[in-house]
Amino acid sequence: MSDIDLNLQIWRQKKSDSPGAFETYALDKISTEMSFLEMLDVLNEKLTKQGLDPVAFDHDCREGICGMCGTVVNGVAHGPEKEVTLCQLHMRNFKDGDTLVIEPFRSRAFPIRKDLLIDRSAFDRIIQSGGYVSVNTGGTPDGNAIPIPAQTAELAMDAAACIGCGACVASCPNGAAMLFTSAKVSQLCLLPQGQTERKQRALDMVATMDKEGFGNCTNERECEAVCPKSISIRNIARLNREYLMAALSEG
Amino acid sequence: MWPIKFISSSIGKKIIMAVSGLLLILFLCTHALGNAAIFVSSHAFQTYANALHSLPVVVLLFGLGLLVILLFHIGFGINLFLQNRAAGGNRYAINTRVVKNSFASKTMPYTGLLILLFIIIHVFGFNNGPADMEVSQLVKEYLSNFFYSLFYIFSFCALALHLSHGFWSMLQTFGINHPRYNNGIAKLTLIVPAFFLVFFGAIALYFMSGLGASY
Repeated sequence: MSDIDLNLQIWRQKKSDSPGAFETYALDKISTEMSFLEMLDVLNEKLTKQGLDPVAFDHDCREGICGMCGTVVNGVAHGPEKEVTLCQLHMRNFKDGDTLVIEPFRSRAFPIRKDLLIDRSAFDRIIQSGGYVSVNTGGTPDGNAIPIPAQTAELAMDAAACIGCGACVASCPNGAAMLFTSAKVSQLCLLPQGQTERKQRALDMVATMDKEGFGNCTNERECEAVCPKSISIRNIARLNREYLMAALSEG
Repeated sequence: MWPIKFISSSIGKKIIMAVSGLLLILFLCTHALGNAAIFVSSHAFQTYANALHSLPVVVLLFGLGLLVILLFHIGFGINLFLQNRAAGGNRYAINTRVVKNSFASKTMPYTGLLILLFIIIHVFGFNNGPADMEVSQLVKEYLSNFFYSLFYIFSFCALALHLSHGFWSMLQTFGINHPRYNNGIAKLTLIVPAFFLVFFGAIALYFMSGLGASY
């Protein structure tokens, strides 16, 4: 266990419509055992004691499953470690004397509320437009009453691992939300219960995605590289297929 | 109207890019096949050119079709580029690309425009040669010029770079991404651009180096 000194440059912005700017903070003796959010907690305690406004950032479970936390650290969403959210990123990934530039997840569809805190309701509206099963699927069925091949179930589970953190949008050079939308479409279209609304779902969710102001996918693969849940762009290929089939018959 | 809705959607536009891209690749294949006659002899190439132009209706229809496909590819490409710049752009103080080898994907609009410039010069040049010169002689006339050939080779490099992202991207857009085929697709994404670079580049080098002086 060791301690490191850090130089932080954090994006500070009072409200959605106020101009923001980077503020520099020096933070000494940060334990490398800390998580990134704990490091921000230490900074905020220091700022509060000084009578300054603490840095606002989103967080909830702090165990990488809720999808609330996330900032861009030195240009990489969720920081340098692979397959973790910001709360699971540990300070041992940084060296003594490092400068960390901390910015909110930026997207035209995610307005900044305050500092590093963003509004991801655009994702909720994509889900609201079709990310569910609304037909009656009856009571609890007997186990294995609906046979689903293990491989299909696994693919659906892989897609369902998406926690909707928005790192895909934040890292996409075009600010596209294809990885998120494709994961949400995939998890349902792979399973029997999702078949009834399959085509309408693909059409509606893509329409909402476009309307919300996300960019277009140009297959840059940045989303897959930063996704804390390793959602594969194979889901994007599946969404492309789903959308084409739906548009040709029911569009 | 569903076709209008389809092509105004983000995925619809990508599919237009992929379909038009595929048709352009297929055109390049036929173009390469025809040009292969150059390596046989100037007589073979002239015979091929004469045979092709003895069917003016076919040439006209294919030419117009190709123009429409090209306009679709360019039009939608520029539209996507502008939309994406508005939605994404340089929005961070520090921009870090995590994906290795992202040069080709980053430069797609620029390599595309360079290829467009090449097409304009190439088509204009071969349609406006001296009236008394046959095309088999014209190709030698043009490509024996060092800088003309160099420009051709440079453009073929841009084409190869464009395809080294475009080919894979096209298949991904069609929804073809499966562990069984991904290795093969990755290989093809190197082979297809390399083939066009080597083949068309060889024609330019053939004349540039003087090897084709008495072809």
